Amino acid sequence: MPHLVLDPHLALDKVSIHYDGQPAPAVERVSIDVAKGDFVVLVGRSGCGKTSLLNVAAGLVAPARGRATINGKPIAAPGSDRAVVFQNDALFPWLTARENVAFALRLRGIRPAERARRADELLELVKLGGAGDKHIWELSGGMRQRVGLARALAAEPEFLLLDEPLGALDALTRERMQTTLLDLWTASDVGVLMVTHGIEEALVLATRIVVLAPGPGRVVRSFEPGFSTRYAAGEAIRTIKADPAFAAARGELTDAIFEGEAA
Amino acid sequence: MTVSSYTERPAHKIDEADGLSVPWSRPRPKRHGISARAVSAVTILVVLAVWALSARLQLVSPVFLPSPVAVWNKFIVVARDGFVDATLLQHVVASLGRVFAALVAAIVVGVPVGLAIGISTIGRGIFDPLLEFLRPIPPLAYLPLVIIWFGIGEPSKILVIAIAMLAPIALSTASGVRGVSQERINAARSLGATRGQAVRHVILPSALPAILTGLRIALGAGWSTLVAAELVAATRGLGFMIQSAAQFLVTDVVVMGILVIAAIAFVLEFTIRRIERVLVPWAGRE
Repeated sequence: MPHLVLDPHLALDKVSIHYDGQPAPAVERVSIDVAKGDFVVLVGRSGCGKTSLLNVAAGLVAPARGRATINGKPIAAPGSDRAVVFQNDALFPWLTARENVAFALRLRGIRPAERARRADELLELVKLGGAGDKHIWELSGGMRQRVGLARALAAEPEFLLLDEPLGALDALTRERMQTTLLDLWTASDVGVLMVTHGIEEALVLATRIVVLAPGPGRVVRSFEPGFSTRYAAGEAIRTIKADPAFAAARGELTDAIFEGEAA
Repeated sequence: MTVSSYTERPAHKIDEADGLSVPWSRPRPKRHGISARAVSAVTILVVLAVWALSARLQLVSPVFLPSPVAVWNKFIVVARDGFVDATLLQHVVASLGRVFAALVAAIVVGVPVGLAIGISTIGRGIFDPLLEFLRPIPPLAYLPLVIIWFGIGEPSKILVIAIAMLAPIALSTASGVRGVSQERINAARSLGATRGQAVRHVILPSALPAILTGLRIALGAGWSTLVAAELVAATRGLGFMIQSAAQFLVTDVVVMGILVIAAIAFVLEFTIRRIERVLVPWAGRE
């Protein structure tokens, strides 16, 4: 599929991933396309290679075959046009929350006063205003992930790559973080590629859900649930989740994920 | 519903550098209300008592075993009037000066070497065998060679101490660097860090706790090399003072010198631990 280069695209084209020393490929011929403003969520059972695919998009893993491109250019290395948020936050404990957020700005040589101002804005945006001087170990898991998110946004990426960022959080914190994610996504035109284990989470957040199956990792289904667009249009998240259509979609997605698995 | 799985993640996920014990964060086991500290205090008192008693009963000649009181008096006298043309303070300053000069030299060489071992296969290939060769050699063994090559001046003394400090610093740095979580480095790279920036802004700070542990071990190693370093052509220093005293069988000065060396080692260790707490407050808290 050729794309217009003018239109920002993160594209994996028939990507296969084969780790050294493994007899079989981890992922075989998977194509995923994330356009600006998309929220694509990868789901699937353990071993389906969703994190591997995210790492290819991040430039941390090279595909054995196929092409990974951003705006038509091949992805060869990590870059700040695709900032990653990891499950274990990967924050820098020797820096305060504000300094963590300002990290990308510091790499670019932006003056301390200016980057502190930008960082505080971003902390405000992820609802952590006033926590800038806090040390990382003083923050809860949810707050840490908010800092991680703000740190990624500071790089002003065209795409956000989220590797199970809410996986380690408790249910209530996770629900709040989902709203924050949706608000950020709605307010910007960033394209998101996210990996999750949460079925409900995928339904709430995604404009498109890609279901992968293991052995080797491949795409089995693709959904466009449309609930996140309803949220963006102003509908409350509780109302959306209470909608019978949501329950139906959850059943359908669960079936797709566990299809073909030996009971 | 969401169960996180680790199965598809890389296996090397070490968040703390190995060998990075943080003694103050470890809860001390207490049994029946007896603390290890109290037992230590009693042990020291018992040793002192046995020493005082043996001296008092003259079980050993005072020439070989002066009493604790005699040693204490000697401490006062040497502190005030000096021994072999220098006061105790001047001896201490001379020795500390050498050890710290050596420490600076060992850091300047050891940290980059450790970094090279930790981040590059070629670096490891080059420096690992050299360090493994150097590490087990006792300072007294290479002292003659250092003197043949570099003479009997101050640089030789500093070099002997620095050689003893090099391996602990380099190896601790390397282990700290190898222990840096890959995810942290990946995060920095995805935020736009070049390889150099990742080393400077992520790997070095991540390895700092391990580097400081290395410094602590190195100071201990360097301090214990002191007497060897001051064997030849020194005019000041604690090691020199002890050796001069030994030649004239002034045993009380020998014992006093040993105790001063031990006390300073204790203070150094304590100081570095305080510095660790200030510089790397995050260690062990993640």
